[in-house]
Amino acid sequence: MSHLLIALILGIVFGFALNKAGLTKYHKIVNVFRFTDMAVLQFMMTALVVAMIGLYSLRAFGLIEFPNIPGTYIFGNLIGGLIFGVGMALTGY
Amino acid sequence: MKFILNYIRKETWSPYVAGILLGLVGILAVWASNSLLGASGAFETLAGLIGKALVPTFFDNLYFNFIMPPGLTYGLVMLVGLFFGGMLGAATSGTLKWGKKDAANSDEQWKRIFGPQTWKRWLLAFIGAIVLEYAAGIAGGCTSGLAISGGMLLAPAAFLFIAGMFASGILTTVLIYRQRY
Repeated sequence: MSHLLIALILGIVFGFALNKAGLTKYHKIVNVFRFTDMAVLQFMMTALVVAMIGLYSLRAFGLIEFPNIPGTYIFGNLIGGLIFGVGMALTGY
Repeated sequence: MKFILNYIRKETWSPYVAGILLGLVGILAVWASNSLLGASGAFETLAGLIGKALVPTFFDNLYFNFIMPPGLTYGLVMLVGLFFGGMLGAATSGTLKWGKKDAANSDEQWKRIFGPQTWKRWLLAFIGAIVLEYAAGIAGGCTSGLAISGGMLLAPAAFLFIAGMFASGILTTVLIYRQRY
């Protein structure tokens, strides 16, 4: 139960951050593909860098263990990504 | 304190600040529940739930029994949270257009490219969302579940996905925008 409560709270903060970064808007998503507004990349890469530093240092101190990472299927990931980009440019998700 | 409150009321934050917030959420997800963030998987769980209730024989297959078993999962609850979190974000900046006239189709840039019709926006969003969800099923995650959550654990899958996503995203945008690109 507490597991699901954590999911709910994290989901709310996640949605809040996405909204405040403007990623819930069509023009923000599409303009990154037009190279006129880099907010999506700035947001994603900042999140990645912060999380990488945090997670790897917590693991180095033995405080956490990593969950299973998403599996690598070269064609699956790549082709999935290629189709995903089409949908992303169409909807602005 | 007043500065923080004023910042929360701003409609658009610096993407770096919002990114730091998301990074912290990503760390917390692993630390507090040994799970990753995600959004697209929850739609498949939901589809499995509805499908198993309506046409159980059709949904009695490997994918919905083992890969995406339906039920009240972590991801599904997170999706509910995401919805209300987005709403909370809009409410704090005063841009929540509940039932207002242009709420269903309010993006100026979209109207400039595709025209002002609301049904067009909804139809394209529906078709695009099918494409998105199908692709996320193939790749094993979406922007949040694979690119961000996988990327922060340095999963090779995430970077393959990001490469594919940007390649075809740029191409599709060029095709749609043509000389307006």
